[in-house]
Amino acid sequence: MNVIITPAMVGQVVISGMLAGALYSMVALGLALIFGVMRVINIAHGTLLMLGAYTTFWWFRLLGINPYVSLLVALPLMFFLGMLLQRTLVTRVVNAPELSSLLLTFGISIALVNMAQLAFTSDVRSVEFLTGAFLVGPFALSKSRLVAFAFAVAITAVAFWFLQKTKLGKAIRATSQSSEVAMICGVNVRRIHLFAFGIASALAAAGGSLVAVVVAIQPEMGQVYTFKSFLVIVLGGAGNYPGALLGGMLLGLVEQLSSLYLTTQLSEAVAYVLLVLVLLLRPTGLLGGRAR
Amino acid sequence: MRWGIRAALVVGLLLLALYPKVATGYGIQFMLQLFMWVALAQSWNLISGLTGYVSFGHVAFFGTGAYAAGILITRHGWHWVTGSLMGGVAAVILALVIGYPCLRLKGPYFAIAMLGLNEVMRVLVSYFEGLTGGGSGLSLPTLHASREIYYAMGMTAVGVTGLAYLIFTSRVGLRFMTIREDEIAAEAMGINTARYKLYAFLLSAFAPGVVGGLYARDQGYIEPISVFPLLTTITMIVMALFGGKGTIWGPVLGAVALFVLQELVWARFLYLHQILFGAIIVVVVLLMPKGILGILQDRYRLPRTV
Repeated sequence: MNVIITPAMVGQVVISGMLAGALYSMVALGLALIFGVMRVINIAHGTLLMLGAYTTFWWFRLLGINPYVSLLVALPLMFFLGMLLQRTLVTRVVNAPELSSLLLTFGISIALVNMAQLAFTSDVRSVEFLTGAFLVGPFALSKSRLVAFAFAVAITAVAFWFLQKTKLGKAIRATSQSSEVAMICGVNVRRIHLFAFGIASALAAAGGSLVAVVVAIQPEMGQVYTFKSFLVIVLGGAGNYPGALLGGMLLGLVEQLSSLYLTTQLSEAVAYVLLVLVLLLRPTGLLGGRAR
Repeated sequence: MRWGIRAALVVGLLLLALYPKVATGYGIQFMLQLFMWVALAQSWNLISGLTGYVSFGHVAFFGTGAYAAGILITRHGWHWVTGSLMGGVAAVILALVIGYPCLRLKGPYFAIAMLGLNEVMRVLVSYFEGLTGGGSGLSLPTLHASREIYYAMGMTAVGVTGLAYLIFTSRVGLRFMTIREDEIAAEAMGINTARYKLYAFLLSAFAPGVVGGLYARDQGYIEPISVFPLLTTITMIVMALFGGKGTIWGPVLGAVALFVLQELVWARFLYLHQILFGAIIVVVVLLMPKGILGILQDRYRLPRTV
């Protein structure tokens, strides 16, 4: 390919990369929370994102409610669904070998996807809202992506404030450092697992609500986000929460930059090569995570 | 093995060998797919049941074999038998390239790396359109050879199960299983764990590659989403788990049980298929993680490997 790449194009992809990256960070923070406190890899994470996207779609379609207002519905709804899944199923495999939790969450995932297909059909849906772009100098900024970025940054900031400052947040961080020591200090670890799964599901749902305006909605849309979230938490260091933010930004930038030099299709492969390199050279992730 | 069991095995194999003489087209296809799942579940067992390293992207070897064989048959006019064998070789080469770095990862990280490998293989196959036909797939020249493919698939299933028998009952098998039980202890006993993990990985990659090639020949058409689905990986894992992973006959038993169940029962509930499969996964993981043979081992005096 002999396309001339101008500085403006690089600037454009850096901006797009950061817009996408903030969303990845927020969604992956949920996966990192679950992995941090329970050592469980939740294959159903992207499925919960899909359910969030459908919540927004139906509220918009049936009641004409602003997609960003529907966050107020999608977040609590998925928070409780997440707690329900944790309470009934996931809690049983917390201390089992990783194969059990991988399979169990996959089982949950295909059952939920199948239910979504039955309830909503496999038709591709979209939310027609806030189309068009702002033109700032040489750059075009998609309105819906910009708003999604702003919401993602705000929600992630609230999540971090919660983890840093509140008692429950501190208990979550303590559990992810060592559940035994947290237990000795009087933390109710099972309750922490419950809240962690709930918060993680709400973060995934927030991602779903925000991308509902940007991308096509269909029952299988989640798997891509599950995979990207894996990439993010491994890049940043699994169980390391600030690492998830850095990982998300990095993934957004790498994807966009590689789509500039290669093609969009290959950017996933580039992200994977990056993943393997990070695993080999810095096995604990860029910011350091738990020993493996 | 006791004489009675041996005799039963020989008779069973003879019956399977004679079956195509009386079978209908549907019967052949049914058994052919059953052999395919036995071979896949058993091959997963060779890495994950033996060493405990969870290959969560095992279908990558199946898809690679399917495309390698498909390209050799279609573009270079190879015979499907040699083409499928080369599919196996291609899968082993992939395992060598990816296993060397990735087998250093432990636990969930290895599983994620394997899952990622499968995603990437699908992307790469879709990208190199000139060779693979890209997203619109690859059509193989027409050939009516279900009976021949039946024997080839059957021999692959028997071969990989025989290999499992040889490994599980040998000293080498003990080394693999020591890695599964405690890798540091294995290292301390003088087992070169890096090398043995790679051996198990290479052995487990060959059969899915061959099976992928035979599948491509049988179906006559392959596309990236049909030969790299995560669901296939999960199905072979659940089959091995259902029968009893880390045993010789568990994956065979699990594959037969679940495949028959799938064909006879679920086929009637097409719309609920995945909900039912999800429920089966949940039940197997929560209630019988050791599988049928594992439960029997706990209850009766059976050999550890069966």
